[in-house]
Amino acid sequence: MRTYLLKRLGIALLTLFGMSIVIFVLMRLAPGNIVDILYEAGGYVDPVAKKELTKELGLDRPIVAQYLSWVGDILQGNLGKSYRYDVPAWQIIKPRIPITVELAILSLLVAVLLGVPTGVVSAVRQDTTLDYVLRVISLAGLSMPSFWLGMVIILGLVAWAGWSPPMLYVPPTQDFKVHVLQFLLPALAVGYRSSALLMRITRSSVLEVMREDYIRTALAKGQRERVVIWRHALKNAILPIVTVIGIEFAFLIGGLVVTETVFNLPGVARYLVEAILWRDYPIVQNLVMFIAIVVILSNLFVDMLYGWLDPRVRYG
Amino acid sequence: MTRFRVLTLTAGLALLGVLAVTFAPAIGQAPKSGGILNVWHRENPPSLSIHEEATISTVLPMSACYNNLVLFDPLKKQESEATIIPELAEKWSWQDGGRTLVFFLRKDVKWHDGQLFTAKDVKYTFDVVRAAPDAPAKLRVNPRKGWYDNVVSIDAPDAYTVLFRLKRPQPSLLMMLASGYSPVYPAHVPPAEIRNRCVGTGPFKVKDYRQGELLDLVKNPDYFVKGRPYLDGIRYIIVKERGTAVAAIQTGRIDVGFPGEVSKAASESLKAAVPQLVVTVASQNVNDNLIMNIRRLPFDNPKVRKAISLAVDRRAYIKAVHQGGALPGASMAPKPFGVWGILEKDLNQLPGYGDPAKDKAEAKKLLAEAGFGPGNPLKVEMGTRAIAIYVDFASFIVDQLKQVGVEATLKQIETGVWHPMVTRREYHMGTNLTGIGPDDPDANFYENYRCGSPRNYTDYCSELVDSMMDKQSAELDPKKRLQLVYDIQKKLEEEAARPLMGWRVDYFTHWPYVKNLIPHQSIYNYWRMQEVWLDK
Repeated sequence: MRTYLLKRLGIALLTLFGMSIVIFVLMRLAPGNIVDILYEAGGYVDPVAKKELTKELGLDRPIVAQYLSWVGDILQGNLGKSYRYDVPAWQIIKPRIPITVELAILSLLVAVLLGVPTGVVSAVRQDTTLDYVLRVISLAGLSMPSFWLGMVIILGLVAWAGWSPPMLYVPPTQDFKVHVLQFLLPALAVGYRSSALLMRITRSSVLEVMREDYIRTALAKGQRERVVIWRHALKNAILPIVTVIGIEFAFLIGGLVVTETVFNLPGVARYLVEAILWRDYPIVQNLVMFIAIVVILSNLFVDMLYGWLDPRVRYG
Repeated sequence: MTRFRVLTLTAGLALLGVLAVTFAPAIGQAPKSGGILNVWHRENPPSLSIHEEATISTVLPMSACYNNLVLFDPLKKQESEATIIPELAEKWSWQDGGRTLVFFLRKDVKWHDGQLFTAKDVKYTFDVVRAAPDAPAKLRVNPRKGWYDNVVSIDAPDAYTVLFRLKRPQPSLLMMLASGYSPVYPAHVPPAEIRNRCVGTGPFKVKDYRQGELLDLVKNPDYFVKGRPYLDGIRYIIVKERGTAVAAIQTGRIDVGFPGEVSKAASESLKAAVPQLVVTVASQNVNDNLIMNIRRLPFDNPKVRKAISLAVDRRAYIKAVHQGGALPGASMAPKPFGVWGILEKDLNQLPGYGDPAKDKAEAKKLLAEAGFGPGNPLKVEMGTRAIAIYVDFASFIVDQLKQVGVEATLKQIETGVWHPMVTRREYHMGTNLTGIGPDDPDANFYENYRCGSPRNYTDYCSELVDSMMDKQSAELDPKKRLQLVYDIQKKLEEEAARPLMGWRVDYFTHWPYVKNLIPHQSIYNYWRMQEVWLDK
C-alpha cells in the first residue's frame, strides 16, 4: 500500500508540474495582459506609468524567469498578489473555496440520493413502465443544462411563491435555515443533471450484476429480493458508480461557474472566469492548480475506496 | 345651528381630515431616517477610484462616499447650470470676464479619517486630474484630463478659497465640476490607495468590500450636512446575471435596479407582476455609435464614411435593436431629456434619419464614386465586444451595410482585448457605446471629437470643427451657444465623424418606498444618496 501511495504521489507531482506549465503558457498566449486592460480601457495612456507597472508586476521578464518565480513562491506558500485588486491572492481565494466545495458536495449528495436508488429500481424493474418513466426522467436531466434549470427554478419560485433566493451569501452560522435553502436550490439544479448520469451508470451496472450466478443462487435459496439487491447486488455494482461520483465531484469544482452566476454565489468557479477575463495571472494560475489538486486527490480517494469496497482489490 | 347639525359638521370635517392625511401626496411627507437600501450592481467595479475610471460601475457606488465642489441638485431631474447647488463650495463666482472661477469652501468638513478638508485638497485633486506639470501625484489612467485643458493654474490663496484660472472663459467648467466624475480627493492619500478604499467626505463610508459580491456602505455620522443622510446604509449587491437580478427586484430582495440594465421588456414584465413598482423612463446620456478608423483605408475617404452612415436606418435600428427603447439624435442627448439636442426637423435632414430608401440610394452612389460597387464590393471587418447588446447592434449594422453592397464580417472580441485594441487603433470598424458625464458640449466634444484626444477613437480631425468647439465653449450667451452646438452636431453627422445610432433610454426601476432617488438625464450624476429615504 505504501509503495502504491508513493507511486501515486509521484504521478500527482508530475501531473501538477505539467498542469502548471500548461496554465502558465496558455494564459500568456491569450492576447492582452492586465497592464493593457488597466491602461487602455480609459483611453488616456501614460506610457511611462504603463512601463513602470509592467516592470512592477514582473511582466517584462523572460517567460521562464516568470514561471520559475511563480513556482518558487508557491513552494514557499506565497500565492502572490492579485494584479487587479493589489491584495494577497489568498485573501480573495480563501473565502470562495468553502462555498464551491459545499455546493459541489451538496450537488453530489442530491445526485447520489436521486440517482442510485432510481438506477437500482430501474434495473430491477427492467423494461417495465416504471423503468421507461425513470429513463425518460434521467434523459431529461442529461438534456437540460443546469444553469437553465436553475433559472427556471428561480423564475418558478418568483412567479408562484413571490420568493427568490438571497442575493448575498448567508453563512451557516448566521442563519442555518436560509443557508440551507440558498444551497439546496442550486444543488438540486446541478444534482439533477448528475443524478441522471449516476442513474444510468447504476442501472447498467446493477443489470450486469443481477445476471450473475450468485444472485440467482441467493434468490433461489429464498433470500428476500430487497436484501439480495441492496446487500449483494449493489455492493458488487458499486465500483463504476463510485468512479463516476469521483469524476463528477472533480468536474463540479471547476464547472459550477454558470450555476454560481445564476444563483449569485461567490464561489471559486465564477471568480475564475472573471480572473481570466482580467488576465489576473496569480489568481488564475493558483485557482487552476487548486482545481487540479482537487481532481488528483478525488481520483486518489476513489482509488483507495475501491480497496475498502472490494476486498479483492489490493494495491502493491 | 342645531346641535345635530354641529355634530354632523364636526364629524364630516374630521372624516375629511382623515381622508386627506391618508391620501395626501408623498411630496408633503417628512423623510424618515433609518433603513438599509439594497441596490443592484451589475459587476464588480474595476476599481474604487472614480477619477481613474470611465464607467458607471465605479461612479454609481462611490459617489455616495465623496463630495464635489458643486453638484447637480439630486431632486431635479433635468440637469443644467440652473440646477447646480453648493456642496464642498459654499458659493462661487466668475471673475475676470469669465477667466477665473473662485470657490469659497465650507469650513466644517472632515475626511472620513478625521483630517480636515481644505483648499489644498481641491488644488491637489484637479492638478492631478489635469496632469499639471507640478502635480504632486499621477493617475494611472486619466480619462478626463482633456476636460481641464483650458485650466492654466489652480491657486489656493488660503485654506478655504480656490481659484481656477482659465485661458479663456468656459461656462462648462462648472457643469463638469458638478458631474459625478469630478469628486474631490484627499491630498494626504495616494491615488494607489484610493483604488481599493474610499477616503472621502461624503455621506457614506465604506464598511465592507467583498470583491465580486458586495460593496457595503454605512452612514457617515460626522457628515457636514446635519440630519443627512437619512439612510443607515447602502448595500450595492453585485449580481452579474440579469435574470437573477430582475427576479430579486420583483421579490423585493433588491430595492433599486441598475441604470440601463432593466430593459424595456423586463420593466414591462416587472410592472405587470408588481404594479406598484415605480418605473421611470429617463435618459442615460449613453449613445450607440459606429467607429470607423480614419487611419485605415478606405475610411480616410469622407465619401465612404458618409455612405456607411447613410446606409443605416436609425429609426429601424431603434425599433429592431432596442424595441423602441432609444431615441434618435445627433452627438448631444436629444430632447425631451437633453438640453442641447438637435430639433427633430433638423435631425431629419441628417444622414440616416431621412427616407431610408433615398439614403441607401445615395450611399450606393457615394460608394460608386469612391470606386466600390457590385464588381468591387467594399469589404470591412466589423469588430464588436462579445456581449449580447453589442452583438445585436453589430448584427443589425452588418445587415444594413449588406443592403448597399458592403460586405462586413462580424468579429466578436473579448472586452478586455477590445478596449486596448480600440485605444491602439488596431481596428477597422466597430460598434461603440459612449457615455458622457454631464449633458454638456465641452465634456462630450473635447473628449470624443477633438483632434488628438485619446478617446477620439476614430481620429477624426477637423480644424474647423475644433475652432467651432472653442467658440461655443467660450460663448457666454446661452442662445448663441445653443446655435453653435447645433451647428457642430450637424457637421459631425454630415462628416460621419462617429455616426450616432441612438440614445439609450433607461427604465429606471425601484420599489415605491424608495423616496427621493430621481433619475437625471445622465446616469452618472445622481448617486450621492444624501436625500434618499425609505418609507417603511
